[in-house]
Amino acid sequence: DEMLRCLAAPPGPVGQDPRGWRVPVDCVRANELCAGEPSCSSRYRTLRQCLAGRDRNTMLANKECQAALEVLQESPLYDCRCKRGMKKELQCLQIYWSIHLGLTEGEEFYEASPYEPVTSRLSDIFRLASIFSGMDPAATSKSNHCLDAAKACNLNDNCKRLRSGYISTCSRELAGSEPCSRRKCHKALRQFFDRVPSEFTFRLLFCSCKDRACAERRRQTIVPSCSYEDKDRPNCLDLRSTCRADHLCRSRLADFHTNCQATFQSLTSCPGDNYQACLGSYAGLIGECCPGAGRGSLPPRLHPCPSPSSSSPGFDMTPNYIDASTTSITISPWCSCKGSGNMEEECEKFLRDFTENPCLRNAIQAFGNGSDVNVAPKNPSPPVTVPPKAEKSPALPDDVNDSNTMYDTSIITTCTSVQEQGLKPNRSKEESLCYSETQLTTDTMPDQKTFVDQKAGCSRQRAGRILLLVLLVPILL
Amino acid sequence: SRRKRARARHKPCELRELEVSVSELGLGYESDETVLFRYCSGTCEAAVRSYDLSLKSMRSRRRIRKEKVRARPCCRPLAYDDDVSFLDAYNRYYTVNELSAKECGCV
Repeated sequence: DEMLRCLAAPPGPVGQDPRGWRVPVDCVRANELCAGEPSCSSRYRTLRQCLAGRDRNTMLANKECQAALEVLQESPLYDCRCKRGMKKELQCLQIYWSIHLGLTEGEEFYEASPYEPVTSRLSDIFRLASIFSGMDPAATSKSNHCLDAAKACNLNDNCKRLRSGYISTCSRELAGSEPCSRRKCHKALRQFFDRVPSEFTFRLLFCSCKDRACAERRRQTIVPSCSYEDKDRPNCLDLRSTCRADHLCRSRLADFHTNCQATFQSLTSCPGDNYQACLGSYAGLIGECCPGAGRGSLPPRLHPCPSPSSSSPGFDMTPNYIDASTTSITISPWCSCKGSGNMEEECEKFLRDFTENPCLRNAIQAFGNGSDVNVAPKNPSPPVTVPPKAEKSPALPDDVNDSNTMYDTSIITTCTSVQEQGLKPNRSKEESLCYSETQLTTDTMPDQKTFVDQKAGCSRQRAGRILLLVLLVPILL
Repeated sequence: SRRKRARARHKPCELRELEVSVSELGLGYESDETVLFRYCSGTCEAAVRSYDLSLKSMRSRRRIRKEKVRARPCCRPLAYDDDVSFLDAYNRYYTVNELSAKECGCV
C-alpha cells in the first residue's frame, strides 16, 4: 500500500469515475441541484448569510451556521468545481468559495484550486512547438523564436485581431499622468488569452531565446509598461490578500499553486509531470484581479473588490519576466518583500514560487524547446522505479493506457490506507487526500509529522527518481 | 509562359495576400515582424457600366478634353482589415489602421 501511495501521483480525472463514485459537477449545476432540495437550499441560504461580512471563526461561533456547513458537506455543493472560461465562471467561483471559505482554516498558504484538473495534456502544442523550433533550416544562429511566434499570430486572423486589440489598448497613451488604462489593458489581455488557442498564446509567452533582442521581445509580450510595471512595488503579501479578496483572482492564484507548485515527487518537478496545466495556470494569472466592468451583470461579490485607487489601478498578480536575460528565466509578479516585518519568511516563500520555481522554469523551457516528457500522467512513475514486488496491491495493468482505472485504484488505496493507519485528519484534509498525492503532501507536511514518517518507505524510490532525473535531464533538454 | 501571364492579367478583381515584413511596407517603421498584407488585384471588365461607355464616348467626341477622367471601373478595397500591431526594433509597439484590404470590388 505504501508503494502504491508513492505511485499515485497526479489528480485523477475526477469527473470520469466509471462507478459514479463522487462525481463532482460544476458549482452552477450543484447550486441548481441544491435549490431543488428544500433542506439543502435553506441551509445554503443560511450559510451565505453567515459568511457575509464575517470571518470563519465568528461564523463558526454560531451554532446555526455550523450546522448549515455540516449539512452542506454532504451535498453536491461540497465537491463542485469550475471550468476555466466556462459560461458563468464568476458565478461558479462565487458558489465554490461560499462553501470553501467556511471550510478552510483561516488564511492558508496554499489553497486547493476550484478548477477541474487539466486532464488532457494537449501534447499537440508541445509537438507543434517542436516542429516550429526545428523548422528554420537557414538560420540556426539567427533564429528568433519569439519573432516566429509573432509571425504565426499575425498570419492567423483571430490571433492577429486580438493581439492588436490588447497592444493598441495597452500602448494607447492617455492625457495626464496615467500612461494607459490599465483596467482596459488587462481586459484586452484576458480576451486574448481566453479566446486565442494556446498554440499561439503559449508560443508568444514562452518562446525560447538565444539573444537579448529575442528575450526582450518575450518580456514585452504582455506590454509590461502598462499591464505589469507600476510606480510603487507593493509588498507581495499585501498583494496576495488583495488578490484573495477577489474570487477570480483568488481562484487563479490557487490554480497556479495547485498546478505549478514544485514537487520532488515527479521527474519534472511539476505536479503529475503536467507542464500544460502549469503553463495554463500561469497564463490564467495574466490580467487578472478586479476586472470590474465588462464581464456582464454579475451577482454581488461576497467580498467587495478593493476599489482601484488612482495611483495603482491594477493592483494584481500578473506575472512577467523580470529582465531580458537569455540564460536564466526569472518570473515574478510586480511586488517585493520589503516591509514584510515578521512575515518576511512567508513573503519570501510566496515570492519564490514565482522566482525560483523549478516546475515553472522546466515547463517554460520544455515548451520553448518543444520537448515534453513522455512519462506521466499516463504513466505516473517511470518504469525503472516500479518496485519488483507490489504484494497485496491490486496488480498494475501492463497496459497503462487505461489510466483512469489505474488512478482510481491507487487513489482509493491511498484513502483507505490512511484510514487504516488510524489517522483522523479533519474532513477537508481527508477529502484532499483522496484527490491527489501532491495536495496530500503539501497539505499534511507542516502539521502531520506521523504521516511524513510513515512515508519513509517512499524515500528510496524517490532517490531512484532523482537519479533518473539526473540521467534524463541532458536527454530532455 | 506568355499565355500564363496573359491569363493572370485577366483575372477578375479579387483579394490577394502577401507575407511581408513591416519594414517592407515603407511606412517608416523598422521591424522584422511579418504581417499579412492583403490587396485588391484583377480586372473589372465585367463591371463596365453605361456610365463608363458614355464617358468614353464623350472623351472621344472631345466633349471632355482637359479634365482627368477615368472611364473604367477600378479594383479597390471596399473595406479594410482590422488594425495591425507590432513591436519595432526599438521595442516600441505601434498600431497601424487600414493597412490591409478586407473586401475588394470594382468601383
